[in-house]
Amino acid sequence: MNGLHPSFCTCGSRLRPVRCCQLDLMTLGPAAASRHLLPLVDQAIAFHARGELAEAQRICLEVLELAPGQGGALAVLYQIRKAEGVLPAAEALVRRLVAIDPNNVWATQELALLLFGKGDHFDAEFHARNAVRIAPTDAQSHNLMGMIMTEANRPQIGEFHYRRALELLGHRQPILLANLAWNLKNQGKMTESRALYEESAELAPDVLQTLLGWARMEETDRDFVRADAILDQADALFPGHPSILLHRAVIRGRAKDYASALALLDQLEQLNQGMGLGTNELLEKGRLLDKIGRYDEAFSAFTEGKRKNVEMSGTVYMSDHAAQLAQRLKAYFTANRLRIVPRAKPIESGPRPIFILGFPRSGTTMVEQTLSAHPKISAGDELTFIHDIANLMPRMLNSPLAYPEALADLWMGDQYEGLDNLRDHYLQRVKQLGIIETGSTRFTDKMPLNETHMGLIALMFPQAPLIHVLRHPLDIVLSVYSNHLTHGFYCANALETIAQHYLLVMDLVDHYRREMTLKYMAVRYEDIVDDQEAHVRRILSFIDLPFDKRCLKFHENKRYARTASYAQVTEKLYDGSRYRYRHYLEHLRPVIPVLAPTIHRLGYSIDD
Amino acid sequence: MTEYLPLKSGSDQPAVTLSVDEWIAEAVAHEQSGRPDEAEQIIAFVIAEKPDYVPALFQASILSYKRKQMQEAIERLERALALAPDEPLLHRNMCELCRSQWMLDKAVFHGRRAVELAPDDAAAHYNLGVLHYDRMEIEEAIAHARRALALEPAMASAHFELAEALLLNGEFAEGWREYEWRFDMPNSPRLLPPTDRPAWDGKPMPNGTVMLIGDQGFGDTIQFCRYIPEVARRCQNIVMACSSEMKPIVMQQNSAMQYFDRWDQVPAFDAYCPLSGLPRLFQTDLNSIPAPIPYVRPDPAKLAYWRKRLEDLIPRGYQSIGIAWAGRPTHGNDFNRSMALRDLAPLSQLQNTVLVSLQMGPAMAQISDYYGAAPLINLGAEIADFADTTAILALIDHVVAVDTSIVHLAGAMGCPVSVLLPFAPDWRWLRDRKDSPWYPSVQLFRQTRSGVWTQPVSAVASNRSSVVERRAHLRT
Repeated sequence: MNGLHPSFCTCGSRLRPVRCCQLDLMTLGPAAASRHLLPLVDQAIAFHARGELAEAQRICLEVLELAPGQGGALAVLYQIRKAEGVLPAAEALVRRLVAIDPNNVWATQELALLLFGKGDHFDAEFHARNAVRIAPTDAQSHNLMGMIMTEANRPQIGEFHYRRALELLGHRQPILLANLAWNLKNQGKMTESRALYEESAELAPDVLQTLLGWARMEETDRDFVRADAILDQADALFPGHPSILLHRAVIRGRAKDYASALALLDQLEQLNQGMGLGTNELLEKGRLLDKIGRYDEAFSAFTEGKRKNVEMSGTVYMSDHAAQLAQRLKAYFTANRLRIVPRAKPIESGPRPIFILGFPRSGTTMVEQTLSAHPKISAGDELTFIHDIANLMPRMLNSPLAYPEALADLWMGDQYEGLDNLRDHYLQRVKQLGIIETGSTRFTDKMPLNETHMGLIALMFPQAPLIHVLRHPLDIVLSVYSNHLTHGFYCANALETIAQHYLLVMDLVDHYRREMTLKYMAVRYEDIVDDQEAHVRRILSFIDLPFDKRCLKFHENKRYARTASYAQVTEKLYDGSRYRYRHYLEHLRPVIPVLAPTIHRLGYSIDD
Repeated sequence: MTEYLPLKSGSDQPAVTLSVDEWIAEAVAHEQSGRPDEAEQIIAFVIAEKPDYVPALFQASILSYKRKQMQEAIERLERALALAPDEPLLHRNMCELCRSQWMLDKAVFHGRRAVELAPDDAAAHYNLGVLHYDRMEIEEAIAHARRALALEPAMASAHFELAEALLLNGEFAEGWREYEWRFDMPNSPRLLPPTDRPAWDGKPMPNGTVMLIGDQGFGDTIQFCRYIPEVARRCQNIVMACSSEMKPIVMQQNSAMQYFDRWDQVPAFDAYCPLSGLPRLFQTDLNSIPAPIPYVRPDPAKLAYWRKRLEDLIPRGYQSIGIAWAGRPTHGNDFNRSMALRDLAPLSQLQNTVLVSLQMGPAMAQISDYYGAAPLINLGAEIADFADTTAILALIDHVVAVDTSIVHLAGAMGCPVSVLLPFAPDWRWLRDRKDSPWYPSVQLFRQTRSGVWTQPVSAVASNRSSVVERRAHLRT
């Protein structure tokens, strides 16, 4: 059915399973035991170098049948499968190389790169860090760390590694310059980013990725004319390239020329004969159709985009995992238990966090942009540290248990101040990011779904304001459906699973609010749109800061918000995002019955 | 009764045949043995088979009432009344049923009809008296209680009803005397284990020991423990028998007392007196209520802890309003005195205000449904005991609460409190007045219609709003 020989491993390596994914590495003999096969391996390498891939593959399969841990044959076969796009096989082969020889720098870097390409930033970071440990003076190890950290929303760490890579290379390598430029764009350092793109493009004028990145940078900086000009330059080099069309469509959309943007996407679809548009293109198309009021077509595009995403990534909502975590959190965080759990001590000096909580697409980016326009507040953006600390907790508290049960170790004499350590770890990581601007006394953390960990946050920061952004649940579900998001245990691919996860998280919020004393304030996205000044004043007074008029002009905040909503927060407050669900009531019908009780409880109604 | 109804309990079993009255008796027996579902099954069968049989409908109604199916109980009784419109017992029960459902006009119709049809039925007069109290027709309540007592002088419930009405009226002397009947009421718990010691008469006992008993709820204990210094002047040796929760408050009245929360540990004593009996012993009247405010003070260590905690939680410059919207759900009058958190909605609109929830118990769950504009801080989750609550009350600006122990505690401390009272309040809040001679710092906000909180809550909100405005004005 899948085109593979039944006796071959399902990963697609064309080895037998017992010589591939079912191989027990403990059964491998020493490398010296297969030295008589080295001449064959040399032949495979030579064939591969000459491009005679069939011969190279045949020899590798023979060698690996006899000696499945033979490094040379594994490396050649890995490269062949990677070039063919058989990524599961490539990953299995390169993982085996790394497992057999953890000091193999090339294999470790390849594995990190492969995982990065797959979007598995967590695993990619693990191997990239190993690459730096093994080869601290290898520029590629640092380049990988730079790429991974940039995409994992820790651009400051990424910048450090890019600069180290440049230093190690000793010359201005154009790709590396473009990578660093993209990183700086993500930090909102547009001038420096632009200069690096200019330098990179001058050194290597025909690199498509550089030009596309540069165009995106200009688009982010709202210079649509320049972005278009750069895409013209790219088009001259790579006429009609699909990526250029997509980027141009995005720019047209941001310039509110929706018809042109849609025409470009249609053109792109025709270019991809038979394949149609990809996930991102379809979602972009849906959003453009929504803008011009073609709601049914928009919804079809969203549905098709999500279908493609599931088809390509295979990701489905991890409902059991999510439910189990929620159940364990509710069992641990109870008022009776928490009365005897020590809290972290107050922060004595330095900036203090403000947690902006909310389901993805509820308006947290807008609230952060608003607050960070205040001279006393720095934007932390989506900080992963609370999640990281939840994972690190067993180690940090020396507990045999997982989070949250590991918090039981706070009752030990040697862990009594454990929450102070967790808090300091968080603050240290924030400091390392370099996000705190001069004069700031606060910083924001708007990691979506941090409300899942509201209990842990309140133990680590008992004084920290928790600003929970609410929005009409149907608008949230619709908006998550129309964007590509991986938050929330991959719930974003279907309306039903988005609603399911939303309810799970709101139930957790209810639980924490019942069981804990929190410095909690709910703000409604719709209220801010209705009466911005009143609600900005309300939020600022809640966090003990004086009102500042600059907060009302958050669209002028030059900071680039690195989330799906950045294009919206650079516009003035507008009504268009409020109650958009009304155009999609028929499409949303499957989730209305489950969401209705929460909709009413939050004080919303369902209107058409 | 000679008619028989067959009831098949199974297709292959012989039919069981009993008379209608025997079936009703069977249902009553089931109900009294704690098997309400079996009782209902039988009674439903009986009234289906004999829909015009008044005794069956009457029992069916009682069963519905006991199963807390009030609407069904009323419907069944209405069917019975349609068949027997002059049966006084049906009117008497309908009066009480309607009263419990806030259908006070309908209740008064049936209550009056019951005493009209059976003028010598003490219970009918008692029911009507209770209803008049709920309607704040206190003179009528007193008259019917007296009539019930004339017919049945030992009817403890009527004495107690009379006491409540007299005390509410400010007629303390007779009220206190009648109030002593509270321990003889049906289902009233015993005041203390059997003893050969006498009740204290209030006379000095220089070498004796008096045992005081915290006989009622927390609020009563806080209200009446103010008399302990007066007791100590007459008898130095005091043994206090009271729940452990009250110890930090009660011991502030006399640190030399011995305090016990278990009967098996109580030492020998010469006489005893419930705390709620002290006003009678000391002949308290409206003009002689002792109010040595404050007679409850916070513990300094707790005060320091909560000062820091509240500084962290309450934004600077905000008015802090402590709130409690529900009492102990097992309290007999809880349906009348408690509200839902959502009823306090006007407070959530106050500017620069934080609502500090002091609510404990099951009603805390309502906090997760609160999404008002004013932040609400759930302190109940961190309050361990009354010492915590006392410290918090000393630190916040104001308290808004229904008639619960919080009100008494804040009043005893001299903290400003707005008390939200039901239309027919407990006797201690007296009639009509906005203040309380028991607690000078208390301001009373009364329902103007039974069961409707809108007006008093709006009045409190408006009152607090003007405080915020004054503050803002002072700042500018």
